[in-house]
Amino acid sequence: MDVELREIRDFLASHPPYSALPADELDELPARMHLRYFRRGTTIVELNKPNYSLFLLRSGAVDIYRDGRDLVERAEVGNTFGTSSVLSHMPSRYRIVAIEDSLVLVLPGEVFSQLVRAHAEFADYFNTGTSGVMKRAVAQLENDTSGRIILKTRVGDIVRREPITAPPTITIRQAARVMTEHRVSALLITEGDRSRGIVADRDLRSKVVAAEVSREQPITTIMTADPITIGSNALAVEAMLEMLSINIHHLPVVDDDKLLGLVSSGDLMRLETANPVFLVGDIAKQSSAEGLATVTARLPQLVAQLVEQDASAEEIHRLVTAVSDATTHRLLQLAEAELGAPPVAYEWLVLGSQGRYEHGLGSDQDHVLLLDDAASAEHDAYFADLAEYVTAGLETCGYPRCVGGVMAVNPRWRQTLKAWEADFHRWMLEPASEAVLHAQIFFDFRSVHGGSMRADQLRETVRTLAPKSPRFLGHLAAEAVERQPPIGFFRGFVVERGGGPQSGLDLKSSVHCIVEMVRVLALANGIPAVNTVERLHAVAASGAMSAETESAIMDAFELITYLRLRHQARLVAAGESPSNTVSPDDLSALEKKHLRDVFGIIRRAQQALAYRYQTHLMS
Amino acid sequence: MWFNSRSWNRVTQDIPDGPIRRYVVDDKPEPATPLSVARLLAVDVETTGLDPKKDQILSIGFVPVNGTEIDLSGAGQVLVRAGVEVGESARIHGITDDALADALPPAAALDVIFAALHGRVMICHHAAIETGFIGNACNAVHGFRPRLSVVDTLALQFRLLSQGFDDEPPAGSLRLWTARSQFGLPRYAAHNALTDALACAELYLAQTAELQAASTKPLTLKSVLKY
Repeated sequence: MDVELREIRDFLASHPPYSALPADELDELPARMHLRYFRRGTTIVELNKPNYSLFLLRSGAVDIYRDGRDLVERAEVGNTFGTSSVLSHMPSRYRIVAIEDSLVLVLPGEVFSQLVRAHAEFADYFNTGTSGVMKRAVAQLENDTSGRIILKTRVGDIVRREPITAPPTITIRQAARVMTEHRVSALLITEGDRSRGIVADRDLRSKVVAAEVSREQPITTIMTADPITIGSNALAVEAMLEMLSINIHHLPVVDDDKLLGLVSSGDLMRLETANPVFLVGDIAKQSSAEGLATVTARLPQLVAQLVEQDASAEEIHRLVTAVSDATTHRLLQLAEAELGAPPVAYEWLVLGSQGRYEHGLGSDQDHVLLLDDAASAEHDAYFADLAEYVTAGLETCGYPRCVGGVMAVNPRWRQTLKAWEADFHRWMLEPASEAVLHAQIFFDFRSVHGGSMRADQLRETVRTLAPKSPRFLGHLAAEAVERQPPIGFFRGFVVERGGGPQSGLDLKSSVHCIVEMVRVLALANGIPAVNTVERLHAVAASGAMSAETESAIMDAFELITYLRLRHQARLVAAGESPSNTVSPDDLSALEKKHLRDVFGIIRRAQQALAYRYQTHLMS
Repeated sequence: MWFNSRSWNRVTQDIPDGPIRRYVVDDKPEPATPLSVARLLAVDVETTGLDPKKDQILSIGFVPVNGTEIDLSGAGQVLVRAGVEVGESARIHGITDDALADALPPAAALDVIFAALHGRVMICHHAAIETGFIGNACNAVHGFRPRLSVVDTLALQFRLLSQGFDDEPPAGSLRLWTARSQFGLPRYAAHNALTDALACAELYLAQTAELQAASTKPLTLKSVLKY
């Protein structure tokens, strides 16, 4: 007798989580299920009644209401529902109603339990609420492949031996001998645990041999004092970018003032021969905006390649940001070369996504000028020219001008540290909701040129003042919870809360839901970091957030930012310009399910934030 | 027993013990049984042609319906050894002579069907085909035609479409797959006896839900039975 229910088996096989079951289990499963038909308008699961089965929608459509009131999901063909009451063994918290004539496959609770016990991947699908599920979702998307070692490796992992060091008292001749003996291309000059300087074989060649400095001179005469260092936790790729942008070949690895070792560009090159960071090296070599544009034009392709190589969104964002930073830095160098040395010291601050190390494709420019307090009105002409040079250059390189006018070309955003302090004071202490809304991206500032002394001072002001400014935080929180994530997907449409179906999912909006929430929490807890993931870690470390919530939000953030980058990369590959709106048709069933989970995580976090800041009281 | 039993007393003595005898002798569902608890079996036969006198059964598919639920664990399909070349109809049903080599002889196949039918009312779409072929097969093997109580989804569809109209339903609207599409039921790629029996069972659930919604009283078997 042939009892193969082929149609139903195939249906199961094409929908998660059943698709994760092995073939023999799939063969047997249909015979363990029932089919039921619900006329439109009839209730499938009653609120507050026990429910012992899972339901898989075979045809029709079903609405799921929390507490019988709020529509939380509209299930479409292939969706499974009724899970929570079966898992919790509690009366249903949802009312589930057929909104069209619906045919439903019924999976008895005991069969479900057996499947959950026997198949981990099947079980994972139902593991919402715990952070593990998102982690696995991310892992599934970014399944590891080779060819990305430089993006994975931490600097600390490359440093294999104690650095070769010498005291500042030795002569150049002695230093050269030490380097030859140990066959190293650079020597660290140290006092105690602290590095005082670095001397590379290049220095010996150029400064000693060519300039005919006496070899009996102390090494301090030719060493690079107080060299730029890198932490052991930095990615290899960041070390490489750092080296390329300032044209050096060695970086001392230092954690908390303690010298751990030295990485060389050779160490990094060996990690990966074909790596994308040459882009940044090329940027440093360009002498015009047009030249820079030929380099940045390769950026979309690079991102596509990184997505292809399954780099994580965080890695890709850092890379794209590094290119944006390097381009800005190079344009400023070129501007200074053309306009002459600046009349007073200044720092170039980038804001928003670039400030947060989260620059993506098609992101626009957000920057301001932070001038030394010595600057006066007559200096502004210089900085106006500088800003115009850089802004126009960035535009040539494919970074659109900020529509909100938050750019250094705007005289309002060219001011001294003192003036900036005044602005930040006003935003935090006398907040008006509109002003705070516009000022949000200013709180993600980061200096990319001219040092960071003044920026650090400004950050200290924000760090100490923000936690003491409840009204300011309240406005930020109100703004952060206003932007609501969609409910889910239905037949190729996005179901928005309280709105009609949308044909596309605005990924940027979902990203910003998280960015804004995390920003409030970071500012409230006096955390100086600007990167969203770093802020999250710090918020959790301060005790203001549970480790589980931290992990869930972090994974949710990684998932949507990854999907956004992938979407942009696909558009670029198709010859289109990058956008933030993805069609549900371009998402797999599993991705939609994970996105629904992400929306849920965002909603829960927003509710917690709204409660903490009583945002409904904010005007 | 609710059917006319006079003729049966004569034949039942002659039926050998087995599923057919038990089907005939044991109680059938009462016509007053509410549909919400009625036990039925959707049945579809695939044949070499449309004439029960000349053509033969190739396969029989069946799926139990318990009240408002299709019990997939009871679904089954038997291939029947027809004793003729399958020929043209293989194109329709995808059953080849090779596959039929594993088939059951008609007597054994009938035992399987009647065991599944025990205590149940048959559901078919255009029931004349199923009753005609199964009756003929039974007659050929055992020398009598058991009377089958049947719900015909084609007749139910006619009733649903004719409600409130004088005109007859448009041509073709009563076909199984057309009728299903009116309820938004899924399309099936393959057509074999089991798939069609399942399709028929799903259609029955949809139709009776619709009929029940239009009725003030709980519907009973009597309200849907054809014979």
